[in-house]
Amino acid sequence: MATETRTHALKAKEYKSDIAPVWCPGCGHFAVLSALTKALAYLELPKERVALVSGIGCSSRLPAYLDTYGFHGLHGRALAVATGLKAARPELTVVVAGGDGDGFSIGGNHFLHACRRNMDLTYIVMDNEVYGMTKGQASPTTAPEWSRSKLTPHGPGVRRFRPAAIALAAGASFIARGFAGDPSGLTRLIVQAIEHRGFSFLQVLSPCQTFRPEQTEWKQQVHPFDGEPAANDLEAAARIHADDGMALGLIYVEPLPVWQPLAQPSASLAEIEQELSL
Amino acid sequence: MNAPDHEPIVSIPELLAHALELETESRERYRDLAQCMALHNNPDVAALFEQMAGYSELHARSVEVRAQGYSLPAIAPWDFKWNCPEGRETPCLDDVHYLMNRRQALELARHNEIRGRDFYAGVAAFSPEPEVSALAREMADEEQEHVDLLAQWIARELAQLEVLLEDLDPPHIPE
Repeated sequence: MATETRTHALKAKEYKSDIAPVWCPGCGHFAVLSALTKALAYLELPKERVALVSGIGCSSRLPAYLDTYGFHGLHGRALAVATGLKAARPELTVVVAGGDGDGFSIGGNHFLHACRRNMDLTYIVMDNEVYGMTKGQASPTTAPEWSRSKLTPHGPGVRRFRPAAIALAAGASFIARGFAGDPSGLTRLIVQAIEHRGFSFLQVLSPCQTFRPEQTEWKQQVHPFDGEPAANDLEAAARIHADDGMALGLIYVEPLPVWQPLAQPSASLAEIEQELSL
Repeated sequence: MNAPDHEPIVSIPELLAHALELETESRERYRDLAQCMALHNNPDVAALFEQMAGYSELHARSVEVRAQGYSLPAIAPWDFKWNCPEGRETPCLDDVHYLMNRRQALELARHNEIRGRDFYAGVAAFSPEPEVSALAREMADEEQEHVDLLAQWIARELAQLEVLLEDLDPPHIPE
């Protein structure tokens, strides 16, 4: 039976701020915002217990549109800020949001170590395979032959960054892919990602109608992953190896040790000073 | 009509929970689109979407009135029994563009009402509970009225709705 009796403390729209998004009409990011608010409502998370951290880019505007705590950080540094926040305030639900350029290029190093560290963070990357805010340049996930940018008239000519494969290799314990054209499925993945204890990486295929209008075809190309999510890294590697990049769903989830610094210092300031004194 | 690929709706509260979600989600999406069109200097379509959001709001209230005395189940967003990713009257995100005109916006609205009507017609056809079927049939008829009204609206404004918008300073790919 799909229904259950629950009393939601807040409705999804109550997690939205009064600020109107400036995204282009038709942008996939609207669906991510909607799915995120529905997920927060479903999980009945109090607003003051949620923090959304972002970097720079169209998708990184997201914290302004939520009525939770938010931090619009530096380009590529969202995971670094979020790591610090989670270390200091482990009781918060910390969600990190950004785009493919912010997360995989400028912030690529932070991405690797956030996966490896496996802190209890949820990282949502809205992947439209383009730098949209700066008007349409190739990003790390752009196909090598994409030639619509005058900066790369013959295409970037570089193999794509493969987010799921790299997340797995770097040690992430939850890897999933959603699609902005399937907001209900995306909501479910966000709920699963937040509920997972450890670093949850969720790649969202989020079309950019302005600079990648051909991405409207994605809704004909996406399809669900076959079978159950992988429960260990070997199975996950096989799954990701066979992936065409358009499969949706939970790819891999495994309970792995979560790193969380001690809430209390192991020595007092006086003890440290005494130790350092000559 | 093909049978849905999920379990049928079997109770009045369950049907009303679906109806409420359908209207509230539609209202939210139209409101988002109205704000978005206003920001992108398309005031005519912004006003139209705001009007549609208002209609969805009215319909949501009428569902709430119908639901008085019932305890509606809370349904997870992914468990609603419609064969599409969102509510049946929710405009799909990629159906809109900042240069769309009023005619395109009205046709989008009509398309969504048709989807809503078909949803209720499907419930009416496949629910095993006669009282659910009866209410769903009534709701399908209401949606058909909306479809007809929108068709009349489109016909009435056809000439002025043919104007195509243009952007003299479009988003461009930099040198």
